[in-house]
Amino acid sequence: MAFNFNWSPLIADTSRARDMLTTALNKSPKPPIIVDDIIVTELNLGSTPPELEILEIGDLAEDRFRGIFKMQYTGDAFLTLKTKVQANPLNTYLSTKPDFASPQPLAASSGLTIPLQITLSDIRLSGFVILVFSKQKGVTLVFRNDPLESLKVSSTFDSIPFVRDYLQKEIEGQLRVLFMEDLPAIIHRLSLRLWSPEYQELEAETEERLEGSKDTTAPIDPLSAPPQDAVDAFGNPIDASQTSNLSIDSASEMHASFSQKNILRLAALSESQRTLSLFTPSIREAVFRAWATQPDRPDSGAATPALTQSSLSRIQSTFGSTKSNSSSVASGSTGNETYSSRPTLVSQHSAAAGLSLGANRARGHHMRRPKKRVVDLRKNRDGGESSGVSTGANTPSASATVSETASVILEDREKEEELLTPPKSPAMPGLRFESKHGNLDAGEPSRLPQNSESLLPVAPLLADPPKISKSKQRAQAPLQPPEPEKKRSHSSRPPLSRNRLRSTQQATSPLLRSLSFEKVSTLSAHSKLPMSPGSYAESTSSSGGGILETAWMQKMMREVARKVQEEKEREASRDRRPPPPQQPQSLKAQPAGIWAGTEEDMETPPPAYVA
Amino acid sequence: MLDFMENVQNAFYEASHWNVDNSYGALNATARALLDFQTPRGLRLQISSLAASNFATSYTIGSVGFVDGSVSYLYSSLPLRRKFKSVDLDLHHVVRGYRHLQDLRRPDEDWWWEIWHSGKRIDRKDTLLYGRIFLPQSRLEALYLRRLSPTRQLRVSAVSDSNLNNGGTILTLLQNDVGKYSTEYMYSTDSALMGIRGLYNFGRDPRAAPTEPMTAQQVAEPVHGRFSAGAELYYGLLNKSGGISTGLRFTTLPNHTGFPYTMTLTLNPLMGNLSSTYAVKASHNLALCSRFDFNFYSYESELQLGCELWRRRSNTDVEWAVKKLRPDWRRPTVGPDDDVSGILKARVDQDWRIGVLWEGRIKELLFTLGASLDLKKREQVFRAVGIELQYSS
Repeated sequence: MAFNFNWSPLIADTSRARDMLTTALNKSPKPPIIVDDIIVTELNLGSTPPELEILEIGDLAEDRFRGIFKMQYTGDAFLTLKTKVQANPLNTYLSTKPDFASPQPLAASSGLTIPLQITLSDIRLSGFVILVFSKQKGVTLVFRNDPLESLKVSSTFDSIPFVRDYLQKEIEGQLRVLFMEDLPAIIHRLSLRLWSPEYQELEAETEERLEGSKDTTAPIDPLSAPPQDAVDAFGNPIDASQTSNLSIDSASEMHASFSQKNILRLAALSESQRTLSLFTPSIREAVFRAWATQPDRPDSGAATPALTQSSLSRIQSTFGSTKSNSSSVASGSTGNETYSSRPTLVSQHSAAAGLSLGANRARGHHMRRPKKRVVDLRKNRDGGESSGVSTGANTPSASATVSETASVILEDREKEEELLTPPKSPAMPGLRFESKHGNLDAGEPSRLPQNSESLLPVAPLLADPPKISKSKQRAQAPLQPPEPEKKRSHSSRPPLSRNRLRSTQQATSPLLRSLSFEKVSTLSAHSKLPMSPGSYAESTSSSGGGILETAWMQKMMREVARKVQEEKEREASRDRRPPPPQQPQSLKAQPAGIWAGTEEDMETPPPAYVA
Repeated sequence: MLDFMENVQNAFYEASHWNVDNSYGALNATARALLDFQTPRGLRLQISSLAASNFATSYTIGSVGFVDGSVSYLYSSLPLRRKFKSVDLDLHHVVRGYRHLQDLRRPDEDWWWEIWHSGKRIDRKDTLLYGRIFLPQSRLEALYLRRLSPTRQLRVSAVSDSNLNNGGTILTLLQNDVGKYSTEYMYSTDSALMGIRGLYNFGRDPRAAPTEPMTAQQVAEPVHGRFSAGAELYYGLLNKSGGISTGLRFTTLPNHTGFPYTMTLTLNPLMGNLSSTYAVKASHNLALCSRFDFNFYSYESELQLGCELWRRRSNTDVEWAVKKLRPDWRRPTVGPDDDVSGILKARVDQDWRIGVLWEGRIKELLFTLGASLDLKKREQVFRAVGIELQYSS
């Protein structure tokens, strides 16, 4: 298990951390010797990152994480503080004593305030860190023990040994308090700024209001977040490299200059599509394959067993530097010969082509079980269900993400809020779609056949006969107006469009199903080359997370397998327990249609959240 | 305005012939009274009484957001004869203002205090015991005061509070005052602080035998001022830190024909702090004071101005009639402060921090109304507002 810990961006800009440290240092009641505000003038995290050793992992999900680390830091970070101190020891001593029994000196206690500059360096830390991360609540970092081993305090009074020793002692004491109490709060607020744009805006507003003319915000680079549907004057799509050239900053600084909001939006979008939580942001003029067909449980269940590996790799590919369809095709086919690899394959094409049954089903399934990947993994401990069920649901995530990111283009501003704050009604997109295009008759045969051409190869995958609701949804699907389709071909980024072309070709040929792994990999290698700005943004933002995720998943799988084994043994000794309440619910929910299913699922929170 | 119990303690000093002003700690008492007065916070109510001439009780209840209070008892072996009823007490006893120093009096001889009865000494040393407990905080203050001899006094004060280090602190103070000079030795249990203070008065030694014939020059030029010099030294044994200061004072004595004034200059050579005050009693009702602090290490300076104004009710409508009375007409005895409607104290410093205090007597109640303002901070001009009411019987 390994972490990709990117230390350099942390060094880049510490002004915020500095401000927060300043406020944190001044918040708590200061010792009487300090008579002015403590101002952090310099903060450098140094070039040596701390060493982290994972001791325990408590919880893991896309948006949650809890673990215990062993941290060791022997870096070259330093911190410079400026304040004013009371140089008269009698003054500080008497200020804390009650008047009644005070000697009440006449002038011996008169004060002398001295400006003081303190530099803390050679900080040696070693301790156990508990890290809890939640997308909504930010990062909580707590030190289990006192992490401060030693530090060097150099100040204006280094020549006076008494004062130096005193300062060293005082500051060590204060730092211990800082590490144990203040630092968690600072990190929490910083993380909130980072992940919650609302909080960010709020903060920025208040800051602006407070600071007035003092403009600390960096100039906004209009091209820092390159347009996702970059087209030139002739309507031809522009490469990411070209777009980055347009940017004011150089491409190397992209990671820092990308609009946080855009990345977030993208991330939220892809996330929601992957988990297909209820809070799926609606995308205008987009058709979800999920609407077209009714997912069937046995199929997805059957698809699961071999899927864990592929899903994992696909997640990686999603997060990885490429976001291409074909890479996920490749990974999908690593678990080849399995039933499920095919739907994912098809989903690649269909994602681009607009419609496909297989992926649709998979996605429907996916949608129905939001955020339950981990839940089900846990559940399997007692349920004895194959662990793949839930992960199987995630298989089309890559394709879904791709198509979704592509359709971000069509998203307009007003959707932002829905992205950030989960929308209330899960059925929103469908409803909107209906309202926009009038009533949808089940029979709109004119387009149905031509669309279903692409669906044909997948048709045999359907174990269940199509139901009425499904047919209706299917009828909706073809309703996707041709305009966005065209528009997308223009607007979507190069890899997408290329993929689309290729995949549509492939989709028509039956050979595709027997497409060998090598071929696909070459294909993926091809499509990897041009990088879309959007995918680049996302990959840069979360590439570390992908590795982490994978590692996590692998460990999780092992752990789950072990636990399942244990559970089975335990179960064998015990009476057969009734299946956990959630299992039948999700079973029941599946035939009831996607939206109904999601609603029901969301009503009862998954046990992972309850626990 | 002084607390009832402080007033009682001062009465004890007076009754036992102890000169509070002849101490280095009281070198700039005038300036502190005019510039460093406390402005009350919130509402405070005090009911006290001198039940017997040796025993006093006082109850305080206050409200600064939360309600707190204190109960205090005082015992004095010396009967206290001063008026303590809030109706008729002398306002000069409870309102600290310009301290007009008197001529030094010659200390009592030891044998003056001896009382012999049938071959045995039966006199006892005057003692004052005082205790006060603050109720929600459970803080206890205790004071033990003993006149060891006419020139010596022992003062032990203690505070017990769980919030303090070691649960409390005790300060022992041994004071010697022979008129010409005074010395004080102190020890505080907190960080084992030791201190010594001394004050020397230049000029005539009050102990000189009054029987000596006065020279013609002395008669011609009465002493109308006194020059004093003093120093203090502290050293904390545990924290190995100390403090030192020296001070000079010149003050006019009652013989002075012009308006009384007091000048002090204190210097803290360790911290480089130089402080000079000048206080003047411009008229019977007005006292003005200024203080200038300067630190020659940090070049920080501070200026404070303060005034004390006694407002009296004008009775001009009967003034003419009073004037027409025969000089030997027995006027109804009126207290010296009966016409005082209030005393205004105000101070301001160079940062426009202002403190205002309005003290006085309404019927049988003594009141103190105060506010501290900070004109620099526009959004919160009033830093603290408060009112204190005292009733004693």
